[in-house]
Amino acid sequence: MTATRMTPPNDPLDILIVEDEVLLAVELGFIVREAGCREVGHAMSSTEAVQLAEALHPDLALVDVHLRDGPTGIDVARRIAKDCGGVALFMTANVKRLPDDLAGACGVIGKPYSENAVRAAISYLRVCLRKGLAPGLPPLGLTLSPQFARRWGLGDLPQAM
Amino acid sequence: MQSAQTAMVITDVRAPDAPIVFANPAFAALTGYDLTETLGRNCRFLQGADTDRALQARLSAAVKARTPVTLDILNYRKDGSAFWNALSISPIPGSDGDVGHMLGVMSDVTARKVAEHSLESAVAQRAAEMDHALKQTTALLHEVDHRVKNNLQLIASLLLLQSRRVEDETARKALRGMLERVSAIATVHRRLFQSEDIERFDVAQFVRDLTADMMAASGRPEIQMRLDLERVDVPASQAAPAALVINELIGNALRHAFPEGRSGVIEVSIRRQDPGFEVAICDDGVGLPTREEDVRGFGLTIAHLLSRQLRANLLIEDSQPGVRALVKLTSSR
Repeated sequence: MTATRMTPPNDPLDILIVEDEVLLAVELGFIVREAGCREVGHAMSSTEAVQLAEALHPDLALVDVHLRDGPTGIDVARRIAKDCGGVALFMTANVKRLPDDLAGACGVIGKPYSENAVRAAISYLRVCLRKGLAPGLPPLGLTLSPQFARRWGLGDLPQAM
Repeated sequence: MQSAQTAMVITDVRAPDAPIVFANPAFAALTGYDLTETLGRNCRFLQGADTDRALQARLSAAVKARTPVTLDILNYRKDGSAFWNALSISPIPGSDGDVGHMLGVMSDVTARKVAEHSLESAVAQRAAEMDHALKQTTALLHEVDHRVKNNLQLIASLLLLQSRRVEDETARKALRGMLERVSAIATVHRRLFQSEDIERFDVAQFVRDLTADMMAASGRPEIQMRLDLERVDVPASQAAPAALVINELIGNALRHAFPEGRSGVIEVSIRRQDPGFEVAICDDGVGLPTREEDVRGFGLTIAHLLSRQLRANLLIEDSQPGVRALVKLTSSR
């Protein structure tokens, strides 16, 4: 798992963008770079996403639920968590439709998000993933899954959606 | 009895298996069995395949105990056709005081039963239709909500992408201003269907979300944001204009009150009033006279126009130090 892979704390994250709206994906690429991280790839369908995740081993995948081949983002998140050693973060307009365990993803950002919320979330997750410990409560707009909140030392703190 | 319109039988409950010892012509008319086919038999010969076993048991028990009973039971005529029999049996005391016979009175209530049944199934069908319609409406609401959110995200991305490319400072500022307005509406939609009452919009929660995002975007740690918010809400239909007015006023304070890295405090408060509520945005930065752009700007034009739409009072005054903007909303219900 990523948490056990000891990399220098400030190493930029390799980020895969899984989003079928091209303009959103391009804009996310800017935000990823502004947050000091690397965009390693962009997938528009679930098959593409899993292939890229297996080939590139991203630290973090930003995953939209509705992809070119349907509401397949949930499967993508599960595959990334189980088979690719990466961590998924959902970005969706339908937060309520996600399964309770967030399909193994570390958290969710609700759409419509602001660029600042995404930038803050990536910077925050960079610390979480590199140090294995959260630097504090998640920034506004980011909701962590219960498993990852515990894993990163936040216990069962209540979170505002 | 003989000439009664109502079908009647008398059974001898002392004889083995309580045979029928009397039946009137109305009984023959109802069941199709004449006297010779009826006498000497137990009443259960009227029962058939779909007769409720529990009702049969109740009848037998009542006969055995010589107690009266009234019930609707499915019986069959000689020609095999079924009918609903409203049957009432009662004991007839003999001269010795003991019950020797029971009287059965019968009438055909098939029409009533059928009507009851069709009413029940009509009600059930209507309920199923309503349930289906509700499910469809809910699914449609989710779909529309989902699309609105995605489209707002798309609009925001378009504005951001262009603002990244534009070299001209004025054009870039205009695009950023539009992005802020779209983001304010987006913040409204993120919250709109989350509360328990989907027709009301929580203004205080909106201000918390909006200011957190604005402060993070401003990159101005020397400016402090203080919130003092009472919980108030507006109808969902007024959420977007109210959000835009508040967005302009806080945005103006953030952009113009503290030029050249000047530090200071912006205070946003919401107070409940009767009727309505009051939102105040106060800063301790440079006052109005030095904020020409602020007063004449497009942002304030929007704030004034939308205040009129909301029937709100918008007052902007020099508060020395700084500026105080006051929105009084009276028509919140």
